[in-house]
Amino acid sequence: MNALRRTPLAWRQVIHRPMRLVAALAGVSFANVLVFFQMGLSGGLYDSQKRPLQRINGELVMVSRRYLYLGEQLNFPRARLSQALGVQGVKAVTPLYLGLAEWINRDTRQQKQAMIFGLTPENPALRIPELEANPLLLQRSDAVLFDSRSKKVAGPVATIVGSGEIYQTELRGTRAVVTGLFTMGVTFAADINLLTSATNFKNYFPDQSADDIQMGVIQLEPGVDPRRVQATLQSFLGSSVKVLTIPELEKAEVNYWQRNTSFGIIFGLGVLVGLVVGGIIVYQILYSDVTDHLAEYATLKAMGYDDGFVVAIILQESLILAVLAFGPSLLLSLGLYGFLARSTSLMVVMTAQRAVLVFVFTLVMCSLSGWLATAKLRRLDPAEIF
Amino acid sequence: MAPEPLPPLETAGSGPAPEPAGTGPQAPPPDAARFSHENAGGVTAASPDAAEPLVTVSGLDHWFFEGGMPKQVLREVNLCLHPGEILILTGPSGSGKTTLLTMLGGLRAAQCGSLRILGSELLHADPPTLTRLRRQVGFIFQAHNLMPYLNALENVRIGLEVRSDWLVRGRPAMDACAAAMLGRVGLADRISYYPEKLSGGQKQRVAIARALAPVPRLLLADEPTAALDRESGRDVVELFRALANESGAGIVMVTHDNKILDIADRIINLDGGRLVEKS
Repeated sequence: MNALRRTPLAWRQVIHRPMRLVAALAGVSFANVLVFFQMGLSGGLYDSQKRPLQRINGELVMVSRRYLYLGEQLNFPRARLSQALGVQGVKAVTPLYLGLAEWINRDTRQQKQAMIFGLTPENPALRIPELEANPLLLQRSDAVLFDSRSKKVAGPVATIVGSGEIYQTELRGTRAVVTGLFTMGVTFAADINLLTSATNFKNYFPDQSADDIQMGVIQLEPGVDPRRVQATLQSFLGSSVKVLTIPELEKAEVNYWQRNTSFGIIFGLGVLVGLVVGGIIVYQILYSDVTDHLAEYATLKAMGYDDGFVVAIILQESLILAVLAFGPSLLLSLGLYGFLARSTSLMVVMTAQRAVLVFVFTLVMCSLSGWLATAKLRRLDPAEIF
Repeated sequence: MAPEPLPPLETAGSGPAPEPAGTGPQAPPPDAARFSHENAGGVTAASPDAAEPLVTVSGLDHWFFEGGMPKQVLREVNLCLHPGEILILTGPSGSGKTTLLTMLGGLRAAQCGSLRILGSELLHADPPTLTRLRRQVGFIFQAHNLMPYLNALENVRIGLEVRSDWLVRGRPAMDACAAAMLGRVGLADRISYYPEKLSGGQKQRVAIARALAPVPRLLLADEPTAALDRESGRDVVELFRALANESGAGIVMVTHDNKILDIADRIINLDGGRLVEKS
């Protein structure tokens, strides 16, 4: 109650020079936006690896026990998947064939890595609206569908196919004809995504045993708890295969790329640089405030205000700057995220978790700077102003 | 001596036209027109002689250490200040006046001897004791040291807010007191001015109002009239006299201003760290 009766010295000092305040807020906001940018980009890179997994048409997935991520295909017998049908709660199962193959850019004759998803059109393992709308697209024995978000190095496939023609090229030395497009998004594993039927898939991988699959999608009856079925399946099938929920599968994918790329370090450093920049700006502002007004602070001490009160003024100022700068930072970052998502096709989205994290970061950074800036105040002897 | 009602302090050019005390539109409310201790308890002007001394200094020595070399600035200082007394401290620069003043105000702890201020012994006093004492003391510095981001009224209010007895009364009461005190130093029409809009003398008078508003039991002033013209300097020392008479405050003032020496009950000269009483 008494605190409310006091003149809000920190606030009054912060707003005393509006232009200086605007400059300070611009500085802190810039640092925050830098942090949001780094986090958005790294988060987007990792989240984008989940895009094929988000299309999985089922609640559980069966993979080899040594499975790490989508880009490394490990076989297991298709019979294991069929066994899952005997478990209560399982409605259907469907295989997902996965393979990496060299795609030839027809114009440049360059070889590019393509990831091929093979599915049974009657019960597709992936939800592809373009295929559902036209199941006949994969009728030809050399037909494939092309992900229009594949990298440009693949050639002008989307343009040609989009205009109603077909694009014929070679895939793993075998003829492939692009009869349609779909939209999914590539991962780090390949530059190109292709979709084909299980039957066609075998044409491109004749060396593979017809009884082996790379992933099995398990569809459950409505209202069944995936975790319970997962536990039953796992005990029933033994250790030769793993059964994962979709979130577990996504997590494995992101973990793999976090461990096996240096993006984490690069962007982590970027975040650190942003925080340091913001910290230096706040320190500069508060330090010059302390230095310029040393006599007034000494006067406050001489009047009987204690060290804690005087130091709290500076800390409050630092927190006021942090809080005031956060709103504009968030708005700017939302705009930046929109721009990044459009221009990079990465999944750059603002999450509440990230916003809270950056807010906590900026509070910690500002109060640390504030504390450092008060070093002079804590040493200040009020007798010296005479 | 009997307290006399004060005429309002008006300074040529800075205040409204002079009016009889208490009737002008800018006149302070009646309860603020006089210095009185509503909460401080103890000493009142009615019984100054019966009271204990506010300050008792005995055998006070003080050293500064410059580059490891001790330098004695005060030698065997003995001093007593009674309620209602005004003491002027003179002496050449470097004689230890300012050091003595800062010690009386609790800005430095005593190293040896005895220093009793308002009932607290400051020999080897710890920082919390010094801070508590400072809240009882009014300080007027040579430089005004006003907060540039607060207006005149708020600067005076800061001097009240440090005292919990004023803080509990709430902001309207503190504002009324601050406004009344600014009126008494002739700044009734400047209460919402920021320091940058005030002249040097006006700023000094705000600083004086800040020190006087809480009605301190001990007022310490370092060259309080240096930035003031002759007339407002006179008004300020008259105000000090009123504080001493009405509330029984003790006042110690360092000054070289010969025009105001007559206000003192005693004048003490410091020379080479030793006290020499003049009158």
